[in-house]
Amino acid sequence: MIPIEYWVIFSSLLFCIGAYGVITRRNAIVVLMCIEIMLNAANINLVAFSAYHTTLHGVADTSGQVFALFSIAIAAAEVAVGLAIILSVYRRYQTIDVDKINILRW
Amino acid sequence: MIEYAWLIPVFPFLAFLLIGLLPKRTLLWENGAGYAIAGAGGALVGGPEFTWLIIGDYEVTFGLWVDQLTAVMLVVISVVGTLVVVYSGGYMHEEGVGRRRYYAEIMLFISVMYGLVISDNYLQMFIFWELVGLCSYLLIGFWYEKPSAASAAKRAFIVTRVGDIMFMAGIIILLKYAGTLNFEELFAQHPQISAAGGPISKEMLTLATLMIFGGAVGKSAQFPLHEWLPDAMEGPTTVSALIHAATMVKAGVYLTARSYPLLIQTPDSLLVVAIIGGVTALLAATVALVATDIKRVLAYSTISQLGYMILALGAGGWLVIEGNEAGGYAAAMFHLMNHGFFKALLFLCAGSVIHAVGTNDMRLMGGLKKHMPITSITMLIGAIAIAGIPPLSGFWSKDEVLAAVYSSGEFHAVFFVLWAMGVATAFLTAFYMFRMWFMTFSGEQRSEYHAHESPKLMTVPLMILAVLALTSGFALFIGSGFDSFLEGSIEDLGHFEVLEPGELAVEIFTDPLTYVSIAVAVVGILIAYRIYFMAGFDRSVFGRGVSGWFQKTLENRWYISKFYDDFAYKGVYGLSLEADLFDRYVIDGIVNGFSYLGANTGNVMRKAQSGNVQRYASLIVLGMVLLIVFMLYILPWGGW
Repeated sequence: MIPIEYWVIFSSLLFCIGAYGVITRRNAIVVLMCIEIMLNAANINLVAFSAYHTTLHGVADTSGQVFALFSIAIAAAEVAVGLAIILSVYRRYQTIDVDKINILRW
Repeated sequence: MIEYAWLIPVFPFLAFLLIGLLPKRTLLWENGAGYAIAGAGGALVGGPEFTWLIIGDYEVTFGLWVDQLTAVMLVVISVVGTLVVVYSGGYMHEEGVGRRRYYAEIMLFISVMYGLVISDNYLQMFIFWELVGLCSYLLIGFWYEKPSAASAAKRAFIVTRVGDIMFMAGIIILLKYAGTLNFEELFAQHPQISAAGGPISKEMLTLATLMIFGGAVGKSAQFPLHEWLPDAMEGPTTVSALIHAATMVKAGVYLTARSYPLLIQTPDSLLVVAIIGGVTALLAATVALVATDIKRVLAYSTISQLGYMILALGAGGWLVIEGNEAGGYAAAMFHLMNHGFFKALLFLCAGSVIHAVGTNDMRLMGGLKKHMPITSITMLIGAIAIAGIPPLSGFWSKDEVLAAVYSSGEFHAVFFVLWAMGVATAFLTAFYMFRMWFMTFSGEQRSEYHAHESPKLMTVPLMILAVLALTSGFALFIGSGFDSFLEGSIEDLGHFEVLEPGELAVEIFTDPLTYVSIAVAVVGILIAYRIYFMAGFDRSVFGRGVSGWFQKTLENRWYISKFYDDFAYKGVYGLSLEADLFDRYVIDGIVNGFSYLGANTGNVMRKAQSGNVQRYASLIVLGMVLLIVFMLYILPWGGW
């Protein structure tokens, strides 16, 4: 059994990598991929604590796994919507550089 | 030995990784032959098992199941797979860099196909089932720049998906009512499956087996989901030989055979299985009569032969129930093995012809016999084998299939009708196979081309397969016979009579039914000879009157394909148009109302926005860090 701390550190690192990518990358598709990394970091936490529940109480806590499954399903929907948005942005502006797409403002 | 069976799919998978991932521009791994030929399995069941995931109190385990049925599949996959890969060395030679993708996908396919047949539960099987579907999709669309190939790939994927969903529904029913998906546990509970919460009812089990058979219908291209297979001929011919003739399409037959201990508890399902098999066999054979594309003839012939296997399984189930005899089951698997060899041979010969002539259209071929002697002779052997002339392989297994269907007729009259359909199919098979051969190899050259015999790399696999097509039928007489070997995999279901090989031969040749099937095959060949080989036959007579109408129906593939297109276009698309109206006026109306409200509010609030999303993201992260620092350090420091 891998100690829970390892999972938490691993998922925090993953989350930070994702957040860093979201802030710094210019390509909208890469930004979308980084968001996926952050989501998966959260999923790892959910499943890790679900398994941790088993070591603590000897009974599996299924809600953690179920939450992770839900969030995977939602992540899939999110990618579909995100890619559709990127596609229409590209058709409109011929670019997916997020720096250039800044007309959503006052 | 059996513990190491898990290594079987590992070798081709390693080859897939090597070909696909190594950064080699030189195609060093071109022939990708880095996989071992699988050995035949024994009667043992077991091997390593590990837990994949736990859901509540249900454990999903992965394990191995190797018995005689698996062994037959492994032999077919490994022999045909190896020969096709060797042959591809010549056939795909001009593809350039595309070859790397091709070999990687072929290796992945062989690996997951092995995985499929050694799975020990339905869920694991389903995973590999989807993976072989994926490989089939990728390889049909190998020439994806061609619109027809791309759409054929999509069609194959979507149509088989209908079957896959039924398969999944069957799995869910079994899991809910029987409480397990493991073959050993499911089959050990025979004859009454007792679930965690009580025995599964007969109706539920019937539904479950029908749904699982639905998966087989999709994968093995049975009526009414058979139209994807002829379209799948858009892929390279080697792919058609390996995936769409010898192995993947057999997965449906394998699934039906694997589920036998469940199926024989539900005679109604078996009846459906047999009827679908019989109808498919006859229907596909009739369409093959008028096909002019050499690969499509073979595709319809494949569907028709798969129908035979399904029919034998369905009828054989009644034999097991009523007569305690596994003849049909063994016949189906025997035909599966023989068909794997001779149909791969026919496809590879067709590939050799296409390679030389540059077209698929048989009307533009003719007279190839003198240019391509090896191909023409090996293809003739394949055609005789599938037509069912003794002593070639097709005769033995086809005769076994028909005999099993006929003898189950005493339990249900429907099987006599199905037997008659099977005999009619045998006649049509002999006819269209020789029509194809005569149109391709005999007579005058009908268009401009400079045909030449294919390189050795291609003809040697043809010769090996031709030898197999000649001899694999004699497996019936090796040791105590193929039937009793195979019956070992379902011996728990009852006792089976084992005949000595000598007695078996006597029985086959004293049965008048044997001569019926030989006679129809010979008549079919002779008619093809009269019409397509001898000069002076006016073929335009078929175009008139009732037969003209019939010919038109066949050329339109019984309008089944058209029906699906109309259904999709008129039905689904029409409904979508209605939904679109609703969406445009009702849903969008509400949304637009809100957006109007939002726009006005936003007009006031907009000053805070700069428009750069990444700046917002940075601010969110910064705020979060500040919040964490506040909660972890400032608050405790302040005494909270």
